[in-house]
Amino acid sequence: MSIVMKTAKKGEPPKIKLNLSQVWTRLRTDMILYLILAPTIAYFVIFRLLPIIGMRLAFYNYSARGQWTFVGWKYFEMIFKTSAFTDILSNTLIISFMKFVLLFPFFVLFAILLNELRIAGFRKYVQVVSYLPHFLSWVVIAGIWIAALSPSSGAVNQILGIFNLPSIDFMTDKTAIRWILMFSEAWRSIGWDSIFYFTAIIAIPPSLFEAAEIDGANRMNIIRYIILPALVTPMITMFILNLGFFLNAGFDQVLNFSNDAVLSAVDILDTYIYRIGIQNAQYSLSTAVSLIKGVVGVFLVLLTHLISKKITGKGVW
Amino acid sequence: MKKYKKLSLGQILLMLILGAVTLTMIIPMLNILARSLSSPEASVNMGGLEILPRDFDLINYRIVFNHPALMSAFWNSIIVTIVGTAINIILTTTAAYVLTRPNLMFKRAIMIFLIFMMLFEPGLVPEYLIVQKLGLMGSKWSVILVTAVNVYYLIIMMRYFEEIPASIFEAATLDGAGHLRMLFSIVFPLSKAGMATITMFYAVLRWNEYFRASIYLIKAKDTLLQVVLRQFVVLGDTASIVGQQNLFNYNDLARIDYTALKGATIIVAIIPVLLLYPIVLKYYAKDVMGGGIKE
Repeated sequence: MSIVMKTAKKGEPPKIKLNLSQVWTRLRTDMILYLILAPTIAYFVIFRLLPIIGMRLAFYNYSARGQWTFVGWKYFEMIFKTSAFTDILSNTLIISFMKFVLLFPFFVLFAILLNELRIAGFRKYVQVVSYLPHFLSWVVIAGIWIAALSPSSGAVNQILGIFNLPSIDFMTDKTAIRWILMFSEAWRSIGWDSIFYFTAIIAIPPSLFEAAEIDGANRMNIIRYIILPALVTPMITMFILNLGFFLNAGFDQVLNFSNDAVLSAVDILDTYIYRIGIQNAQYSLSTAVSLIKGVVGVFLVLLTHLISKKITGKGVW
Repeated sequence: MKKYKKLSLGQILLMLILGAVTLTMIIPMLNILARSLSSPEASVNMGGLEILPRDFDLINYRIVFNHPALMSAFWNSIIVTIVGTAINIILTTTAAYVLTRPNLMFKRAIMIFLIFMMLFEPGLVPEYLIVQKLGLMGSKWSVILVTAVNVYYLIIMMRYFEEIPASIFEAATLDGAGHLRMLFSIVFPLSKAGMATITMFYAVLRWNEYFRASIYLIKAKDTLLQVVLRQFVVLGDTASIVGQQNLFNYNDLARIDYTALKGATIIVAIIPVLLLYPIVLKYYAKDVMGGGIKE
């Protein structure tokens, strides 16, 4: 997510009005540039734009060889008639809420604590370890977590055992599994995502801290009156950015942490699209769900872009 | 700013809290490593908090590295990662170069197109049908081409290129340098950190790719390591990894501890990431890892 933040626009070159013959000369001199760009544009047209156009399948019956037959809103009506869709939508929103809303104060806290840590070597150790899980695939993370949560040989149940608590089979427990999703997200991202806030803290001018210390402020005062205010803008930015991705809820993660026992608690839009589309080959129905998700998603991103511009003066891009 | 050298109570508390967070990351990984390096007879009895191998034995790695399905998936992953990352880098750097040229006509229109392509995700099924139509189903090119350019990374690359002073380009133009020479003798050498960062990000994405591989690379011989890993470790499908006949062919397999063997497979999948990780730290995270607070 921090990637997006680095994209604040730099000064655009001044606009010059051109007449047609000048346009032609410029196009000719720029021809080589367009040729260099052509493969990239071709990629986006073939693998992104054509599938987007192909989303009209949501209004048609699919046929591998012959013509697709137009059926209008049939598949959308089908979606809204089934109770499955409401469950999936609410799963998506709940899981997104847990990950984006409940979790994010901890990312901020992690950055603040890391900044308070003065022992340079230990701080570096914390960074090296905590940034690493971000680079592991969800398959690997799921493998590690399944081992750690195993009722027979996992670390977590072993610790529960020390306190005489009964062991829990977390991976097949419907109430536990969403928390597992949240904690595994934290496990993977707490280091890497806190970089965004940490950068904001180290950008605070040192003179502010010196002045505060001369005034006799202790660390708590400094966190409360200098560091937290400096984090407000990044927090708002991150918060609304996440809002734009609310319907995603983390496909790769959910796919790897779900199993038949808990599916009803973690089935999200993207897993549903995959299951009915690829596994059950209900192409049109799946595309209709994709289309709803895509349109709402773009709407959310544009909305957050506008809100972000209004509150922080900075857009999402 | 004053440096706090003394070990105050607060500092000890901080070390305990942050140390505990890192332990939740390290212990599960070391536990898996320890199990995978133990003999099956010992590893079956190991607890989740043990981080040292018992009765050191490389049997699990012998099985992994001699296993035809795992090894073919491993090499497929290496090939897809290398070829895929190369294509990512070629397209991303050339596009970033073109899009950072001042006065390029239609630049704004192209950027709007790219950002829209980034925001609006095409559905899974339409993408699947395009791959099918292009005849890429079952070919490694499906996985390689479908994710050929990442718009986020393209924009990051553009930011790096924009930092090169315009005067250098002007001087090179006066010397008669063409765009390709400009790219190779100015842009690339002057944005090494950016190139390294983007290469690492792409390579990690490539190595970790499993979902598209699982739907496009249908034949077992074409599949990638992460897909096999998922089947074996996450879905617990041991039969597909250890076929019935293999049980009779290998002496090793008869005495195997599956948890430990899964661990070894996970470790093999993590190692390439660990090899790339220092480069990420060196180039991308260097600003935040400068040791103390910047004065």
